[in-house]
Amino acid sequence: MDALYGYGIYALTLASMGGIYAILVLGLNIQWGFTGLFNAGVAGFIAVGAYTQALLTTPVSARHIGGIEMPIPMAMVLAMILSAIVAYFIARICVRLRSDYLAIATIGIAEILRLIFKNELWATNGPRGVSQIPKAFESLPQPWNIVAFLLMVLAIVAVIYILLERARLSPWGRVMTAIRENEQAASAAGKDVERFRVESFVIGAALMGLGGALLAQYLKQIDPQVSDPLTATFLVWVMLIAGGSANNRGAILGAFLLWTVWSATQILSGFLPNEIVVFGFEIGNLQVRSAYVRIFLIGLILQFILQQRPEGLLPEQRPAPVGMGKLQGERA
Amino acid sequence: MKKFLTGAALAALLTAPAMAADIKVGSVAGITGPIAELVAPIMDGRALAAEHINSNGGLLGGDSMVMVPADSQCDPKAGVDAGNKVVNVDQVVAIIGASCSGATNGMVQSVTIPAGIPSISDSATAPSISDLDDKGLVFRTAPSDAYQGAALAQYAYDQGFRKLAMTYANDDYNAGIATVFAQVFADIGGTITANQVHEPNKASYRAEVATMAGGGDAEGLALFAYYGGSGITIIKNSLETGSFGKFVGADGMFDQSVIDQIGADTLRGNIWLTQSASDPDSASYKSFAEAYAATGNDPQAPYAAHGYDATFMLAMAIEKAGSADSGAIAKALMEINDPNGVEVGPGQWAEAKAAIAAGNAVNYTGATGSVDFDANGDVPGFYGVNTVGADGSWETTLLK
Repeated sequence: MDALYGYGIYALTLASMGGIYAILVLGLNIQWGFTGLFNAGVAGFIAVGAYTQALLTTPVSARHIGGIEMPIPMAMVLAMILSAIVAYFIARICVRLRSDYLAIATIGIAEILRLIFKNELWATNGPRGVSQIPKAFESLPQPWNIVAFLLMVLAIVAVIYILLERARLSPWGRVMTAIRENEQAASAAGKDVERFRVESFVIGAALMGLGGALLAQYLKQIDPQVSDPLTATFLVWVMLIAGGSANNRGAILGAFLLWTVWSATQILSGFLPNEIVVFGFEIGNLQVRSAYVRIFLIGLILQFILQQRPEGLLPEQRPAPVGMGKLQGERA
Repeated sequence: MKKFLTGAALAALLTAPAMAADIKVGSVAGITGPIAELVAPIMDGRALAAEHINSNGGLLGGDSMVMVPADSQCDPKAGVDAGNKVVNVDQVVAIIGASCSGATNGMVQSVTIPAGIPSISDSATAPSISDLDDKGLVFRTAPSDAYQGAALAQYAYDQGFRKLAMTYANDDYNAGIATVFAQVFADIGGTITANQVHEPNKASYRAEVATMAGGGDAEGLALFAYYGGSGITIIKNSLETGSFGKFVGADGMFDQSVIDQIGADTLRGNIWLTQSASDPDSASYKSFAEAYAATGNDPQAPYAAHGYDATFMLAMAIEKAGSADSGAIAKALMEINDPNGVEVGPGQWAEAKAAIAAGNAVNYTGATGSVDFDANGDVPGFYGVNTVGADGSWETTLLK
């Protein structure tokens, strides 16, 4: 019974983290999936969101600035806004770059942001990071605090999903797809390509900021590692590509699936014997070594999906052209 | 006959678990990630303690202590994830770990404190861990940086230094010690004439050294860096430009290559490095070092002895609590260092078990020293000062 309860709690925490990643992947989906903007600096926007949340909501500390104990929801909104503002200025400068050049520029910007958070000791406590970040619903007794936090994350994912689906089917979403497929044609059709690209970049970055704010609450401790390219940028990209670029449901599926693989593989390692003998060779210390297998596994899954399903698990579904549905209905 | 056999088998099945049950302890460490090579000897230290316990009677009524490994990658995200896994899936009674301050900070705040699970870190040194509202659940056998920075500041002051320039490498470890050093040195009456942060792994630090020398007539340089990253280069540049001739520093600089590359005669009498040290002459350290060296490891490996102590103390607390109840274990951790108790040390599990069974108070003296937890769950730690000896190698004097 205890074991079952434990697995239940573990599943809840797994889903919370999966939900946070889903928000990040949905943000990237707007930029890359819809509009074709190659943002390789996801980590930078996560860090902006996470540090905004952390510095605004923590109690006074001699180690870093802030300490105004702002209510959690207000800080989350501000994290989105600040992330959007940063993205706006970056977009004004960089968004005209073609996809691969934009990738290089955004990597550079994410590194700049990370180094700022790491080096401005007076503001962020540098590499030691910010601790004791308040978490929504943490005053509830265990396990209801975990349940409530998960429900909040899932509700946010649901709201974002509904809004993005509306956006995708709207004329705005169609322009985005047009820009992704053929920029010149979209421009020739009288669309202000640069403005649309800036909009897409800013909205995507705001969602990443929100994801960062939730991550800061969930972990209760952040340091410049929060923008570590492997677990921030790279993993978010893998989730999007594996789940299905330009498909919001695919983005959510990819986030939950990949995070489950990332985290739950450590359960499997518990079942390994610590030593096995293969063809007379003794292989020892397997439980420690299996930690490395997890990282290998992520790469393997990506390879497999790219080989077998290049469009992701849930491929893009284009909305029916306006008017065509009616026309077909008449024919039938 | 058949019935009898079935009955016997059933009885065996029913009684066997009670005779040798497993008590699971989480062993969370940065197995992969930036400090992977430091973690391997620490894990061996933990494993050695578990082996000493299990081969000398085990826990309570003969239960074995099972270490459940989990990877915290030196990252809060992974630390929280690893904590959730061992606490919920494996249902451990307590946790040794995590490595790295960030991962430990995340894990204890979002997993183990809400769940009421005690944890003992053997390598998290951030002062911020002492500030947590931890409900008496967070312990560590690694001394906080606050103590080493303070110990060095006091030592430098006692050596007659009043004005020092300071520089530190921009990583969490060196920045942490440097901050405390600057504060304490100023508090006891010294002056920091220049305070310069530097990025490690540059080819030359002449610009930084010149800036610091321009900050005033310092009597020496307080240097917090890893010897390979920037430390040796900064000493070289300081000597070449004649800016600084005397150096004080912490354990990141402690390596034979410092003497080999700069020269023993140049450094003799001009450099003082503190180091989190065990008293090499103490019986408790010797018995650990002997057993640990027998596993093919170097007993001087950073934090390996702390890993051993953390595991051994947790086992004593389980024994003292008389049950595998997490809350009782956390309380008992504060009771295994009774100054009037029976003295036990590394490897003396049978003695510790007997003393606790007889209802006597116990006092564990570990491989790293007396390891008495204070109200924050911290240990004061012991420090040695290294100077260059006559034979051109480091000579350690224990700071009392």
